[in-house]
Amino acid sequence: MPIETRLSEDGQTLVIQVQGRFDFSTHQAFRDAYEHCDPSVKSYVIDLSGTTYLDSSALGMLLLLRDHAGGDSASVVIENCNADVRRILSISNFEQLFSIC
Amino acid sequence: MNEKPHLDEEALAELQDVMEDEFSVLIQTYLADSRTRIHGLHDALAAADSDQLAKAAHSFKGSCFNIGAPRLGAFCFELEKLGKNEQLEKAPEVLEAIEEEFQDVARRLENFNE
Amino acid sequence: MNILIAEDNDSDRMILATLIRRLGHHVQEASDGLEAVSSFVKFQPDLVLLDALMPRMDGMEAARRIKALGGVRFIPLIFLTSLSNATEQARCLDAGGDDFLVKPYNRVILEAKINAFNRMRSLHQAVSEQRDHIRRQNERMLEEQRAARRVFDNVAHTGCLNAPNIRYHASPLSVFNGDVLFASRRPGGGTLLFMGDFTGHGLPAAIGAMPIAEVFYGMAAKGFGAADILREINRKLCSILPTGMFCCGVLLEADSKQSAIRVWNGGLPDGWLVRKNGDRVAIPSRHLPLGVLPPDRFVASMDILDALSGDRVVVMTDGFPESRDDQGAPFGETGVRRVLAGLQPEEHPFDALMEHLQRFTGQPAPADDITLCSLEVVTGSVAPEIFEKTPASSLSGPGNWHCVYEIRERTLADFNPLPLLLHICMEVPGLRRKSGEIYTLLSELYNNALEHGVLALSSEWKSSAKGFSLYYQERKRRLSETEGHYIRFTLDHESRPDAGRLRIRCEDSGQGFDAESQGARAPAGTGPGNGYAGRGLEILKRMTQELNIYGAGNCVEIVYDWEFPNHGLQSS
Repeated sequence: MPIETRLSEDGQTLVIQVQGRFDFSTHQAFRDAYEHCDPSVKSYVIDLSGTTYLDSSALGMLLLLRDHAGGDSASVVIENCNADVRRILSISNFEQLFSIC
Repeated sequence: MNEKPHLDEEALAELQDVMEDEFSVLIQTYLADSRTRIHGLHDALAAADSDQLAKAAHSFKGSCFNIGAPRLGAFCFELEKLGKNEQLEKAPEVLEAIEEEFQDVARRLENFNE
Repeated sequence: MNILIAEDNDSDRMILATLIRRLGHHVQEASDGLEAVSSFVKFQPDLVLLDALMPRMDGMEAARRIKALGGVRFIPLIFLTSLSNATEQARCLDAGGDDFLVKPYNRVILEAKINAFNRMRSLHQAVSEQRDHIRRQNERMLEEQRAARRVFDNVAHTGCLNAPNIRYHASPLSVFNGDVLFASRRPGGGTLLFMGDFTGHGLPAAIGAMPIAEVFYGMAAKGFGAADILREINRKLCSILPTGMFCCGVLLEADSKQSAIRVWNGGLPDGWLVRKNGDRVAIPSRHLPLGVLPPDRFVASMDILDALSGDRVVVMTDGFPESRDDQGAPFGETGVRRVLAGLQPEEHPFDALMEHLQRFTGQPAPADDITLCSLEVVTGSVAPEIFEKTPASSLSGPGNWHCVYEIRERTLADFNPLPLLLHICMEVPGLRRKSGEIYTLLSELYNNALEHGVLALSSEWKSSAKGFSLYYQERKRRLSETEGHYIRFTLDHESRPDAGRLRIRCEDSGQGFDAESQGARAPAGTGPGNGYAGRGLEILKRMTQELNIYGAGNCVEIVYDWEFPNHGLQSS
């Protein structure tokens, strides 16, 4: 499964894990992951430890999630990026919109 | 050697039902065809061509089963096996049985027809 | 259905044919393999029943030929056999048979099999028809895309890209890859270049390009600066693109009078300033792509790089570094850096990059996804009038008018009045051909008033290339301290028969300057490096009928006469 989710103990944080290539083919699964989650979720963590590659449609998906989660007031953390993924996020200056660990 | 009946009455009744007016034509066709095939069996044996013998016996067997002559069909099967195993020594005996059985079947079929 | 029977045994054939006719189908009979094949061709049945052993050509061979003749259509083929062992039966299926029927023929089974295969055949046909339908739809869509692509190309790769100081490679007609490249001369000299990479591919990516092209060319022609254009592009993209779609882009503004280039990079790979002396300066992405941040958060601030004549700026979309060799390894930003580090003295970076990439990928023609552009800095006098997109208006306009426009204090820092003032002048039909000159006049007057008048910056700072950056830093700082200051433009136009006279007066709240001594320090005809103000006054003198300086030097007025060309005389 390219997308796996788990909920934190207190039910307030949703962790979304993306395996393999994060590109247009993961579009629907990624959306489903956060659109149908528990309404008590207040913040999101995107775990990219298994992500090998990220393209511009993935950046778009992250923007959609941020918008869904409240835009400027959203809490979205992106973590465990490998060097290539980090570079792509950095060229697009996405650390201006997301916390990237 | 062969416990099967000479004629499968049930199968023949069904054929009658299917063929309707064509039934007697079918019987005549079968009988004529069979005579030709039996000649063919003789020829194959005379030529000691076991492969040809097997093929011809196999073919004849099929039409016997279709028409409803199971015992005759079984004899054909034996001849077919002998041909396949190249055991032609026993063949003449089986061929004779076939001839005899065919005479019997022919008579019975013509009676059935009437 | 039309059914073909191939059976050498006469009585068996009779039985089978009758059985099938009674089921309501049309039957064609063949008595050996050869006849079976020729009947198949002639009769074109929907289903074939074939005896495995037949004279002349046996069932297996006939089956193979019939299946081959069937081509893409699915014609079920059922073997008739009294072969009882599994190996033989498997051979039948291997030869192309779809099933077999065992003698003696069982009426019920025969009917069931015929029906089952009929259903299968119908299904296969339905699928084939759908596939053909889809193929046709797809071809139509491709055709529409090709047409749209032609429209797109009229918009996407245009402007003054064919100017001698611009080299570029953009993707060919076959592919919509979302990349755009615009270039425009600015009125008054200089070049604006925008390279963009829209997210995605195909139509959605290309659609964003058209409104952006309008914004870019419209604003460039009107004299708007780079920052204003960026803000408007961002605003437009935010409003038309859905969340998640954006445009990575680079904007370059080269001013032909000044030895500097302004750059803005949001999301594209590093651009490079390659100086004539071999030095290289990276232009990394410092901003979010366009269309992401709402207007109130968008940052249009540009970096300023000193640049002399002969220096070149190279920009590219990610297709360039992502090109791969036959092992799948990408060229990468390291590849780009390597090429630029190894440049020969007279080698053009654009040529070097294209050549190295070609060698790397092993492809004779460059791939479809590459957009690469280089702009060479050309300093010197005001550039000739080259306008691609100035709309021609046939409306008549005001001939006699007078207008005063004053901007004060904070507005001096926040607002550039030149496009508006130019626009007012352009309402006069006779001045429309002259937008470049008029813009230059307004811009010289304004910059003089702002930088030397209000901000009291000394033009001596700009005599060195390094000095420019310092100058602009100080300029930015002083712009935050403009309490009590103003700049006032008074425009006046008087129409004459097929001609007109435009008067522009510019007053500022500064201390003024000593025009005489400035003039003395910078005699006419001397080259750059004599002080900006001196050179500015020379330009104004050359272009106008009259130039007068009043007050303490903080009030400059020019008179500009023009005539319609049919009358032979050029204005000024």
